[in-house]
Amino acid sequence: MRLAAVIDATVTIPGLKELAMYRSSASIPFAGRYRLIDFALSNIVNSNINSVGVFASQQSVSLMDHIGKGKSWDLDRRRNGLYFLPTSQREGDQLSVGSFAALEDHLNFFKKSTQPHIVVTSAFSISQLDYNDMLEKHLASGADITEAVRDGKCMKSYILSKELLMQMIKGFREKRVVSVEDVVNLKKKPYTFAQYEYEGYFVLINSMESYFNESMALLNEITWRQLFLPERPTYTKVKDEPPTKYMKGSNVKRSLVANGSLLEGEIRDSILSRAVEIGKNSKIEKCIIMQKCVIEENCDLLYVIADKDVLIKAGSVVHGTKEKPVVIRKGSVVSEGEEL
Amino acid sequence: MKKQMVAMLLAGGQGTRLKELTYTVAKPAIPFGGKYRIIDFPLSNCTNSEIHTVGVLTQYQPHLLHQYIGLGTPWDLDRRDGGVTMLPPYAEADGIKWYDGTANAIFQNMKFLEAHQPEYVLILSGDHIYKMNYMLMLDFHIKQQAAATISVIEVPWEEASRFGLMETDDQMQVTRFVEKPKDPKSNLASMGVYIFNYQKLKEYLARDAENEDSSHDFGKDIIPAMLEGNEKMAAYPYKGYWKDVGTVDSLWEANMDLLDLDSGLVLHDSAWRIFSSNPQLPPQVVTETCEIEESFINEGCIIEGKVRKSVISQDVHIKEGAEIDECVIMAGSVVGKGAQVRRAIITPDLDIPANFKLQKNDGAITLLTKETIENWEGSEDDAFSSSN
Repeated sequence: MRLAAVIDATVTIPGLKELAMYRSSASIPFAGRYRLIDFALSNIVNSNINSVGVFASQQSVSLMDHIGKGKSWDLDRRRNGLYFLPTSQREGDQLSVGSFAALEDHLNFFKKSTQPHIVVTSAFSISQLDYNDMLEKHLASGADITEAVRDGKCMKSYILSKELLMQMIKGFREKRVVSVEDVVNLKKKPYTFAQYEYEGYFVLINSMESYFNESMALLNEITWRQLFLPERPTYTKVKDEPPTKYMKGSNVKRSLVANGSLLEGEIRDSILSRAVEIGKNSKIEKCIIMQKCVIEENCDLLYVIADKDVLIKAGSVVHGTKEKPVVIRKGSVVSEGEEL
Repeated sequence: MKKQMVAMLLAGGQGTRLKELTYTVAKPAIPFGGKYRIIDFPLSNCTNSEIHTVGVLTQYQPHLLHQYIGLGTPWDLDRRDGGVTMLPPYAEADGIKWYDGTANAIFQNMKFLEAHQPEYVLILSGDHIYKMNYMLMLDFHIKQQAAATISVIEVPWEEASRFGLMETDDQMQVTRFVEKPKDPKSNLASMGVYIFNYQKLKEYLARDAENEDSSHDFGKDIIPAMLEGNEKMAAYPYKGYWKDVGTVDSLWEANMDLLDLDSGLVLHDSAWRIFSSNPQLPPQVVTETCEIEESFINEGCIIEGKVRKSVISQDVHIKEGAEIDECVIMAGSVVGKGAQVRRAIITPDLDIPANFKLQKNDGAITLLTKETIENWEGSEDDAFSSSN
């Protein structure tokens, strides 16, 4: 095992603030049954890396609840496994990946790790990147730091040696750099840089617009087949939800549907998380409906992102636009005639 | 450590009436409800009833069951003290003793029970679909001051003669037990769920083991022997959904009950979850071309065709133009383009070719297997096969 991994879950995407009011940005739901961080964690375990440090900001209860001891990713080990590392960073402090201020809080993670190389990534880069292959190319290049790129676009995932990373953490204030991403973007001397060309599914969630569009893009067969590779499964916290029930009168087309839902209305071009209820004669189109939302009868929702536990009362009409979907905050109640 | 109640789950049955479904797996391991295996129900009932020590007795085709149950993690039965213990037949100095009857299976595992020293033993079987709080039954058992309590359910009089029936007095004391009588005097059927005072159970099992004429069965031998011994026996009236899924028809019916709002079988109930191993599969994908009506569909499925009144397990692909009606489809199967299947149970990992047709007019339930597919002579509309 030559690699350990760091997921910098202290990074904040300002545009996603509406969805990160009550949770860490890394635990924002995505693709129905997942949270953003599931993709980073799954890539890591699918690359046979079994030592992972998740560096979390102060607002990390939801994240901790979601990943626990890492059992769903097979990371609950006696040796190595998952390390949940809360830092002094606040949600919003931190905008780039591999924050030295955060990593500095847990220098011991690096001191104790036996792996000579480190992957540094975040929860916002969703791909099927194989870090083992990337490490081989990194070693062959002889460079100090390798960054992954897709069609010239930076994926914000990096490999460097543990020794070099620890050196950077110790000297970052003096060198006036804030993160691994910062060092790479500035092509900071005296380090040498290489790029690893990746092909395959990749999206960077960096705004509400990209969050919504990349979610909707998953309804395209070619796209979901690229992300959901049977040989590289995406793992998430297991819930014991029963299969989804399509009730009499339901009409569901072109959608991604997680388990535990009770569907009675008309649903199209939408993404439904676990345990969602859609009432009779309700029409849901181009929406993202998160876990445990209840949409009563005769509602009409178009371009809506309903966060977890939202209750939409019977007869409500909520219309957003493609450019500006309406985001309904976690736990809110929407009644008929209410302006949003 | 002394336990109040330990559960012993009889999971060694073959279930021959389920035909090909049990050729390679024991009956309790048969898939149910798009996600579960039958054994998930008694195991989850134990967990939800806060019974944390469960022995699972296996014999017929045990591999998948052992692998499936593992350490018992999905049911929260991976405990430091107790938890789930798999109890297959074992060898002793004088050879291997196969389990010979339900009572004998328990008798051969007295060492397991002795180690836990329970006050009560709960005997369960792995062939029923139901949600039951065993602790309420224990409360009843204690209140009745019974030596044994048998859980019973009211069945329709016209079906009563298919069951083992308990005749009781007005205090719910069992006066007589009759196995499948032609002329039933009671419609209280035994559910195969028993609570015994451990010391009494020990005594009667030991006596039964000495009896060469005994078939070593709880229903046929132990219960009648206890009645004859004038032990206090109570019948616990269970109300709720309960179904023996011992045949292809009843397995199909129980699955269909999931779609019937009046059946009483509800799994969307977080207060009494049925736990199961959760495979990590993506959300189900339903496409532009699909039509889904009144169905129960698990994760990992791709639905492009028409689905009506069906229960579909994980990782099933229903291709465009296929029509599925009143079917139970087990995990990993693919229904080819234009195929039509009505009233069938489709066995796991089956590849149904394009344009395959299964339409019987007698309404009988078909168990669709690899063999059915291989023997299929091709569709009549197929220009190549119909030309002489």
